[in-house]
Amino acid sequence: MPNTEYIITLCDGPSCIHKGSRTVKDALEEAIAKHNMQDKVKIHLSGCLGMCSKGPIVIVNPGYTIYGSVTEADAAEIIEQHLINGKYVTRLVVDEDHLYNRFFRIFGDNDFFGKQMRITLRNCGIIDPENIDDYLSLRGYEALAKVLTELTPKDVIDEVKTSGLRGRGGGGFPTGVKWDFTANAPGDERYVICNADEGDPGAFMDRSAIEGDPHTILEGMAIAGYAIGSTKGIVYIRAEYPLAIKRLEKAIEDASKNNLLGDNILGSEFSFDIEIRLGAGAFVCGEETALIHSIEGSRGMPRPRPPYPSVKGLFGKPTLINNVETWANIPVIILDGGKWFSSIGTETSKGTKVFAVAGMVKNTGLVEVPMGTTLRNIVYDIGGGIEGGGKFKAIQTGGPSGGCLPEEYLDTKVDYESLAAVGSIMGSGGMIVIDEHSCMVDVAKFFLEFTQDESCGKCTPCREGTKRMLEILTRITQGKGKPGDIEKLERLGTMAQRSSLCGLGQSAPNPVLSTIKNFRQEYEDHIFNKKCVAGVCGALLTYTIIEKCVGCGACKRVCPTNAISGTRKQLHTIDQDACIKCGQCYDTCKFEAITKA
Amino acid sequence: MSELITIHINETEYKVEPDQTIMQAADKLGFHIPRLCYHPKLSIEGACRVCIVEVEGMKNYVASCAFPITDGMKLHTNTKGLRRARRDIIELLLDNHPMDCHTCERDGNCELQRLAASVGIRARHFEGEKKHYEKDISFSSIIRDPDKCILCGRCVRMCSEVQKVHNLTQAHRGFKTVVMPAYNMPMSESVCTACGQCINVCPTAAFLEKNYTQELFEKLNDDSIVKVVQFAPSVRAAIGEAFGLEPGVNMEGKLVAAFRKLGFDYVFDTQFSADLTIMEEASEFLERLQGKAAMPMITSCSSAWMKCLEQFYPDLIDNVSTCKSPMSMLGALIKTYFANKIKTDPKKILSVATMCCTAKKYEAARPELDVDGMPGVDIVVTTREIAWMIKSAGIDILNIEEETPDSPLGISSGAGAIFGTTGGVMEAAIRTAYELFTGQTLVDIEIEDLRGLEGIKEGKVLMDGNEIRVAVAHGLGNACDLLDIVRQEPDRYHFIEIMGCPGGCIGGGGQPYAAANSIPLDEDCLKKRAEALYDIDRKKTIRRSLDNPDIQQLYKKFLHSPLSKVSHKLLHTHYQAKTPVGIIPKK
Amino acid sequence: MLTPLEIIKKKRAEAVSRIISKGYLSTKRVYVGMATCEIAAGSKEVMDVFTEAVSKGLTDVYLSQKGCAGRCNLEPTVEVVEEGKIPVKYGKVNKERALEIVDRHLKNGQVIKEWLI
Repeated sequence: MPNTEYIITLCDGPSCIHKGSRTVKDALEEAIAKHNMQDKVKIHLSGCLGMCSKGPIVIVNPGYTIYGSVTEADAAEIIEQHLINGKYVTRLVVDEDHLYNRFFRIFGDNDFFGKQMRITLRNCGIIDPENIDDYLSLRGYEALAKVLTELTPKDVIDEVKTSGLRGRGGGGFPTGVKWDFTANAPGDERYVICNADEGDPGAFMDRSAIEGDPHTILEGMAIAGYAIGSTKGIVYIRAEYPLAIKRLEKAIEDASKNNLLGDNILGSEFSFDIEIRLGAGAFVCGEETALIHSIEGSRGMPRPRPPYPSVKGLFGKPTLINNVETWANIPVIILDGGKWFSSIGTETSKGTKVFAVAGMVKNTGLVEVPMGTTLRNIVYDIGGGIEGGGKFKAIQTGGPSGGCLPEEYLDTKVDYESLAAVGSIMGSGGMIVIDEHSCMVDVAKFFLEFTQDESCGKCTPCREGTKRMLEILTRITQGKGKPGDIEKLERLGTMAQRSSLCGLGQSAPNPVLSTIKNFRQEYEDHIFNKKCVAGVCGALLTYTIIEKCVGCGACKRVCPTNAISGTRKQLHTIDQDACIKCGQCYDTCKFEAITKA
Repeated sequence: MSELITIHINETEYKVEPDQTIMQAADKLGFHIPRLCYHPKLSIEGACRVCIVEVEGMKNYVASCAFPITDGMKLHTNTKGLRRARRDIIELLLDNHPMDCHTCERDGNCELQRLAASVGIRARHFEGEKKHYEKDISFSSIIRDPDKCILCGRCVRMCSEVQKVHNLTQAHRGFKTVVMPAYNMPMSESVCTACGQCINVCPTAAFLEKNYTQELFEKLNDDSIVKVVQFAPSVRAAIGEAFGLEPGVNMEGKLVAAFRKLGFDYVFDTQFSADLTIMEEASEFLERLQGKAAMPMITSCSSAWMKCLEQFYPDLIDNVSTCKSPMSMLGALIKTYFANKIKTDPKKILSVATMCCTAKKYEAARPELDVDGMPGVDIVVTTREIAWMIKSAGIDILNIEEETPDSPLGISSGAGAIFGTTGGVMEAAIRTAYELFTGQTLVDIEIEDLRGLEGIKEGKVLMDGNEIRVAVAHGLGNACDLLDIVRQEPDRYHFIEIMGCPGGCIGGGGQPYAAANSIPLDEDCLKKRAEALYDIDRKKTIRRSLDNPDIQQLYKKFLHSPLSKVSHKLLHTHYQAKTPVGIIPKK
Repeated sequence: MLTPLEIIKKKRAEAVSRIISKGYLSTKRVYVGMATCEIAAGSKEVMDVFTEAVSKGLTDVYLSQKGCAGRCNLEPTVEVVEEGKIPVKYGKVNKERALEIVDRHLKNGQVIKEWLI
């Protein structure tokens, strides 16, 4: 959008529509057309922005000016006054809470932030995480105060149920139901646990959320403590996150000083403490029963469920475990209502989801989008398309145990069911964009290497099955694949999916099975034609010297096996039997006279 | 009784009790779902995934050992997909297991072998790298061979849940996972008590006793030495199982004959020294009762328990009887009293003990039990080892004539026999102590309160109007629980018997492996072995240790009286607090 | 007795006044990204430049750290919010760029367009 000077974000939430936002849109477009500014102004519709009482909402960017209660008649004035004359239409500016509005400032970076909707990360990158005043000024702990003042524990659980929030750690279990189970499980003591054992390679949603806004997590946990009748919270966070731990410690200290944690919170009957437990970085400790074992001081290994932790958890007591991102949603749900929250997203998946977008995409980073946003939106609109001008090949969602989806699935909406339907998972929010320069067998091998290494070693399918799968993948990439290997991978993969003890083993085969399903040809090329079309698998490449060769002899000099011969100033040749495919000749040649394929 | 619920197994409807797992329900209905890591005495691991079944409406298979039944549940145990998954899982276990069945000590006795045969593995599809770890042969009792381990976790659970020793744990991750003592310390430097229960529950040969059979065979051929063997009470009650007999057949006479056929010159009975132990221990108890030493008194004949005590309960060392175990007492007498009697240099005597126990190998090597700088017992072999030797030597034990042990260390009372089962030492001790204390003979000598497999048993005896409160624990876990009570209430008991293994010596770590149709440490099997010992007791005319004529003779000619100077030199010892090297934190 | 809601509203008012007393209403506000990722990309050095500038007499500037906004490939980021002007975000700020932002933007009001996100 090189010519675009302004972006107008129009809230297209149900409430704003009801109040006439669609006619405002028409009027804005008309005014833009009238001034011939179509090239300079772009209108985009957003999901509910959460300012329903002030709707319809129009935000002008850059400048994050928020206009509220905009009518059809105001549209032309906004265009003329603001866009052409550069002056605010003061009477429409929503400025009820100066500091709270900082939330929208990030929309200024419109390419990246325009299509995002930040609920869990609402304060990340906005406030000083080490200053509780910043959080308090943004209605921090108001949700906790609200439940303590106005709501019964059951009301709180109902509100969370109404919101439709589902576990963001990957499982997608309805959060309110989980709370309800824990609240109703028999027991004199209960625990609330925040799972911050983020272990997916390349994932940093939880770290960023804690580092950027630690109090939100604490507030969410305290609200749950009130709802389920617990006085003890534990944040289980990996020791590799020193800054997050430091900020969390500071936040707990500050909150305690301010009577927002500890005994008789805010003068109420409710008491709640939170302590931090450090994990040693085992991926499997993100699995809730393994996490519990780890806190108890045992080796972090999962156990069969049922019984679920909500009934028999930490030290045998009913325990509520939610992931960082889930917790961060809670204060918002309490403040703005479960009903509002459930207006965002799709039929089965409500609210937003944070993704760590990485790989061959222009804008790598942390993005939060409403459920139902398509993968294409994320890759091309927010991510800015493929980095380096290559061709899109696949997108891997859900961390190391997610699936790889080809271009035909780019219009899949991100929600739990849609991703599962096409053979991938939501997971905790890893998203890796893969372009044509990656070999899918190699990609599958990469992910399986990780899960295989991180298997706790308890159950046979995961411990032994993934190892054999990795061996098969390795030999395929080394050009030693055999007929029947694909079938063996499928057989072991489905066995591990269906028979493993925990989610790690059940999902570890996903990258392999999904690449076989969607990129079977690549596997067959490796096995039968001994070719790696992406040019990644070294053992399968053939280096050839073509006509461009000037006979300089540079390649001959670097070849470690003397596989290159040729007279000076004449076309050289490579002895394929002697070539070890190290690629040094290819890198050395200044005349692009050596090809690899 | 709760209301029955309906489940369907393989399309057939059944009414069953609620609140049980799929496996429990299926077992009762005659569906034996294949299993591996499951053991009824241990917590549910759900690790091997062999016992998976298909539940309609569930995407994944569930482990039947762990998953509860619900009303209306429809499950399948033998679908095509399930059978294939199960077979693949067991095949994967084999793929990471040495293919050396023919040279393996558990060949023919291996649960993995049986399982592989039962699911019908006929081809191998996925072979690749195998894990490799060094075999740990550092310990005098137990050998750890991680290459054989299939990570079912039974040993880990046995060691921590039943024995509460917590020596074993899984270490490393994924394919590299291995069971080891903390910090990968050698077994000899670990907190391992040598009880050998890991061997009993191991489905393969990942744990074995240190094997002395070859060495023993060599020595049996040495004519320049006198070969003496003793055998523990519970060996005779269990060894028949190694030859295909039902548990609980008393093999005493045939075993004595087999020993002689193997080449032993003298066969003595550890039951004799059990009687001797009672004489010393009962006397010691009466002394303590008079305030001469710490109370309550705790027995000291179980070697695994002694190591456990030194490591975990050093504060109670003064409470432990100074008596050596029957094996070591007999060993001491063989090298002194008996050597003198046959006029042989004790250095020329090979003293062998056949024990139900792996920890006795460790005990035999303890320097504090030496007699004049010599070990009382030179070689300890387990029931399993001697059974193998008998087979290997071609002795048809089932069909040979019974023989009796040699004098003067061979005759025993019924009290000596019941030493082999939990509660037996206490019962035997009371029979003698009562008479020593009151001067009268105890009439009701069978003390039912102290019999059976309950973890901790309590009883009371009136001696001249004095109430003597006693307690019995078997298995180190129960022992720990009991001692924790003693720490809290030191006056609660006067006398405590502790046996390191479940069921006492009859469940020892060196007993025959479970039969193909059974499970390790099956309660019925333990009860039958115990019953064999009680039966020996019942059939004896002499049932009190102090009535044993050989014992009386021994005191008359050699020891003079219980707790005499000679007794103290040969039959008593002192234990000391010990922290194994492996658990001392490094600086 | 006050309800928790009343207490929290009071606390918020106090928090806001504390923030304002720290100079929040200055005409310029500078935010430096200080999450692990930003620090790894060099934001501590950048923060030092601004801290030093403020301590050496750069007045009317409110300096604060912030968490990660998710702009990974452009880190470290620095945001300058100026009264009455469109706020700007600088990407890939290093020590040198930070020094120039102090000189050109904060002291002379000149936005350095080529470094904007």
